[in-house]
Amino acid sequence: MALLEVRDLVKTFRRGTRAVTAIDRFSLDVEEGEFVAIVGPSGCGKSTFLHILGGFETYESGTMLLNAAPVKGPGPDRGMLFQEFALYPWRSVIGNVGWALEVQGMPKAQRQATAEKYLKLVGLSAFRDAYPAELSGGMKQRVALARVLAFEPRILLMDEPFGALDAQTRELMQEELNAIWQQTRNTVLFVTHDIDEAIYLADRVAVFTARPGKLKDEIKIDLPRPRGIEIKKSPEYVAYRNRVWDSLRAEVLKAREEFQ
Amino acid sequence: MSAAAYSRGTRAALGLVLPLAALAAWEIRARLGDAPSYLVAPSAILATVWEMIASGELWKHTGDSVFRALAGYGIGGACGIAMGLLAGIARPVERFYDPIVSLTYPVPKIVVLPILIAWLGSGDGSKIAVITAAVFYPTFINALYGAKGVNKLYVWSARNMGAGAFTVFRKVILPAALPQVLTGLRIGLALAFIVMVAAEMANSRTGLGHLIIAAEDSMRFDLMYAAILAIAVIGFAGDRLLVAARRRVLAGQTLGKEGAHA
Repeated sequence: MALLEVRDLVKTFRRGTRAVTAIDRFSLDVEEGEFVAIVGPSGCGKSTFLHILGGFETYESGTMLLNAAPVKGPGPDRGMLFQEFALYPWRSVIGNVGWALEVQGMPKAQRQATAEKYLKLVGLSAFRDAYPAELSGGMKQRVALARVLAFEPRILLMDEPFGALDAQTRELMQEELNAIWQQTRNTVLFVTHDIDEAIYLADRVAVFTARPGKLKDEIKIDLPRPRGIEIKKSPEYVAYRNRVWDSLRAEVLKAREEFQ
Repeated sequence: MSAAAYSRGTRAALGLVLPLAALAAWEIRARLGDAPSYLVAPSAILATVWEMIASGELWKHTGDSVFRALAGYGIGGACGIAMGLLAGIARPVERFYDPIVSLTYPVPKIVVLPILIAWLGSGDGSKIAVITAAVFYPTFINALYGAKGVNKLYVWSARNMGAGAFTVFRKVILPAALPQVLTGLRIGLALAFIVMVAAEMANSRTGLGHLIIAAEDSMRFDLMYAAILAIAVIGFAGDRLLVAARRRVLAGQTLGKEGAHA
């Protein structure tokens, strides 16, 4: 049995008398230790799906099982990473990383040690006492990553985590996330609109259709690990890129028609 | 010359040019003897201030005024912040307050002083009550919008980590709303002093506002200026204290934005 099992998830947004189906019978399995990327045209409901899974949004029907238990409301078994970092500006870097542990009642000394460990993992030990406002975007997202890793969720839910970063920083962060994942082997569900990012990071890429979103395609990425950035030049990588793009292209066009 | 060439001292001195020039002109006019009687020489005002400090009279009036202002500020501020935060996180509470606050907000609170005097007598009670009412509005409104405007992701992130509703309120909503709460407190402090003086001018036997009216009635303009000076000094000191506290409390939140606020 898969760690995460999503079956026939349906989500409808209502505005007055108008109802828009955002997600239509979406199903997905994620195995323990697997890195799954979800790509789809903008507005297809992929972020909404992650928010439902995080327990922040309601849904109409379907089942979601995490470790065989139904997902109900937010909880620390799922670690959310947001595009906008969501760091607390009034807490120092170490205060941000240790906060979840504080909430969960871990004693101070142990909390401090755990926070230090994960700060080291993301390479920001030197900035432990800085405030988020003093950090660059890439550093902020690394702090946010350390913060969710620190409370050891069963699955990481990443909602376009590098979407707010510039292209160069984004590339570096992908490399770094790959290196960190190589050590931690977390189960990850990673939402992005960037095909390159998805293929480079994931074991499997799930393609969302245009709205109403459902699963269109699943592509297993059989590239060797650990993956260096040079793998993006290999013919296998380019073949995967074309394969995902072919699948996504029709959906992007459909989504564009809807907006026009 | 580059901007860096202006030292801190130079910048401070720049702000003193106009007041010092005005004071000098005032002093000269008064000394020449052809100024109207209400333009008492600054040196004479200082002499009166000194005399009043020595006799204890200034302390007594200032003490009465500060007590009224701070009592009203404390009660009004505490109620305003508590209700404002509550309204910010609970829509029914916001709806409950909205019509009454919107309707009475633009009304100068001093107008209810006669009614309050009828209820509470002409002592400290009615003055404290009208100051309380005046302070309530800016603290309520700022706390309300501070709590309403908290980044949704801060709350989501906390709930994701397993925080319950009470922890979210105390550890996320409260600190996130704090900058605006403090803005409300700063506006409230200025209002507390303004309404304090107005209430004392309208009906009081002590306090700096009373001193101004009494001095005017007896043509003692030096006394009047001494009272005005005392109001200015305590108002300024209170505001500086709040600004300093704000900078301390909001260490991480004002980084890179300082100067835009203080």
